[in-house]
Amino acid sequence: MKIKSQKDFWSGLMFLGSGLFFALWAMAFYQMGTAVRMGPAYFPTMLGFLLTLLGAIVLLQSLTTQPEGDQVVHTPFNIIDLVIAVAIYAILIVLSQKTGLASEWAILGGTIIVALLTVWFRPDAKPIVLVTAATIAYGYLMKPLGLVIATAALVFISAAGGHEFKWKEVIILFIILIVFSVLVFVKGLTLPFPIWPEYFG
Amino acid sequence: MDQIFHNLIIGFGVALTPINLVYAFVGCLLGTLIGVLPGIGPVATIAMLLPITFNLSPVGALIMLAGIYYGAQYGGSTTAILVNIPGESSSVVTCLDGYQMARQGRAGPALAVAALGSFFAGCVATVIIAVAAPPLAEVALKFGPSEYFSLMVFGLIAATVLAHGSLIKAIAMVVWGLLFGLIGTDVNSGVLRFTFGVPELSDGIGFVIVAMGMFGTAEIVANLEMKEAREIFTSKVKNLWPTKEDFKNSWAAVLRGTALGSCLGILPGGGALLSSFGAYSLEKKISKHPEKFGKGAIEGVAAPESANNAGAQTSFIPMLTLGIPSNAVMALMIGALMIQGIAPGPQVMNEKPELFWGLIASMWVGNLMLVVLNLPLIGMWVKLLTVPYRYLFPSILVFMAIGVYSLSNNAFDVLIMGIFGVLGYICAKLECEPAPMILGFILGPLMEENLRRAMLLSRGDPFVFISPSKPISLGFLVASAILLVVVALPAIRKKREEVFVEEGG
Repeated sequence: MKIKSQKDFWSGLMFLGSGLFFALWAMAFYQMGTAVRMGPAYFPTMLGFLLTLLGAIVLLQSLTTQPEGDQVVHTPFNIIDLVIAVAIYAILIVLSQKTGLASEWAILGGTIIVALLTVWFRPDAKPIVLVTAATIAYGYLMKPLGLVIATAALVFISAAGGHEFKWKEVIILFIILIVFSVLVFVKGLTLPFPIWPEYFG
Repeated sequence: MDQIFHNLIIGFGVALTPINLVYAFVGCLLGTLIGVLPGIGPVATIAMLLPITFNLSPVGALIMLAGIYYGAQYGGSTTAILVNIPGESSSVVTCLDGYQMARQGRAGPALAVAALGSFFAGCVATVIIAVAAPPLAEVALKFGPSEYFSLMVFGLIAATVLAHGSLIKAIAMVVWGLLFGLIGTDVNSGVLRFTFGVPELSDGIGFVIVAMGMFGTAEIVANLEMKEAREIFTSKVKNLWPTKEDFKNSWAAVLRGTALGSCLGILPGGGALLSSFGAYSLEKKISKHPEKFGKGAIEGVAAPESANNAGAQTSFIPMLTLGIPSNAVMALMIGALMIQGIAPGPQVMNEKPELFWGLIASMWVGNLMLVVLNLPLIGMWVKLLTVPYRYLFPSILVFMAIGVYSLSNNAFDVLIMGIFGVLGYICAKLECEPAPMILGFILGPLMEENLRRAMLLSRGDPFVFISPSKPISLGFLVASAILLVVVALPAIRKKREEVFVEEGG
């Protein structure tokens, strides 16, 4: 069997998989109830199977009909890369639970590993991975290290995902953004962000 | 009529207080700014600012956020005309003729017609909201759970029909969004659903976070992957004032664009984007010189720019009267209301007239500000376009990250935004539209709630939705069925694809 539309094939699979997951999970763990008194499983099960059905239709269509236009999926990574990335996070989170370390560090560590692997092996995927990694790093560095270092991580990592990276420009940009963030958000809108790492006062 | 006049006076009383004028101005300014800048749209911006509006008064918050949405429609045309890049997705069609006009040295008239057309459309749409909203809210007050459920089904179906691309994929995205919306504590039983032992998920996923990931992150990455050469006609913006002939050619197009945009804006799934596409194809169809389109026809700028502004404003009608969002921006507006502790719905108009009418009056005020912001200050916006994207996107990311993090001072929210960013990226690559998903996401819990109530009231009879004793509910479901059948018909399906291909390309 030949896939006529890669785009439909993968979206069908995606819908089918997540529909089944929601429906089966709901049926397994929550109460169904009756039509009069619907339990927590009722609506998600209905929707889950509906999504499964829609996914199956899209999947079948991708094998039978040839739509117009480019049907090749142009992602800079493939499904195996995606699985590897998810596995890295999963392993680290399990490890952190075994060792009693906070799961925040597992997520931060996983993000760093995935970002480095991307830079080495999948340079075309830098925009999506580094932009995402930059925001995640920002979130997880804020509490322990404060606004200045979190913003630095965000600006420098995300800028590395762009076409050009010039140190001088990025440093100036960082200074402008951090001054603005402190003045507007911390002083102006009084958001309770730590500016520096705790032990620096 | 007297009543409307009286209400508008209340509204202007609210809108013209100095502090609300400031909010309107800030909203319009921000709207123009993000409208001019490609790569960031009103959805991501409003999502970013939502947490901050918590500190404002409800009226001020809504006035500012609304200003961003319709302000972006003004700003979007500037980029489309001068750089041939749509600053906003709703300005895609403006590129076709606007850029050609700029190349012929007529950038000034193109910008002026776009701004004046938008202003006219904004004024008309303001009046339409004032006239149409109260009776609609009156009807909506009589809605029971079955009517609401059917209305939401209709809204979601209409949203998918009007989306680009495959219908089945759009419906699947809606259902997926509904399911994501159910994550968290079930209000009826208190059971934690799909939280996988993560305490942060017990309140559900904030849809601001989802919207920012699916639209914000995905938009930025799409821009980074695209290598573009920009050619800017900055030096050619002279003679802003259009000629007599330009006026003669464009006034009818402005009228038609306004009318069409006002209608399409009210439809669920409608709004600025659909209106501009619709208006452009209408103009092309009825023009005596269709061959001029794509080569600098002023009608091709006037009609879609009026339509997108009219559509942006009338899309507030279902949100304000029914409490049902018709597009992603309106979903965020509902979020803004809820942050302020106001339950959206038909009762808002009676319980908070100053909020409702103040917002409407502010739209007119805002439109006036926008003409001033856009025409005399055009040079300033043009300069902004010369700022390279490599400075812009880290700045946008900083605002997004601050916005999300400040929601609950929790890194987990930022992680969720990252996950939905990747999901949005993959969906874009697979040609699955994110907008229907966001609508489903916000309506998920509401739909379940109303379905449960309706079934409880009918003692489990599923035919309650189509029984003759509930004509409104029946009507919505019949309309949804007709929509689905009509779109599935081969002839119409082909036409629908043509429309989007021709204009989207």
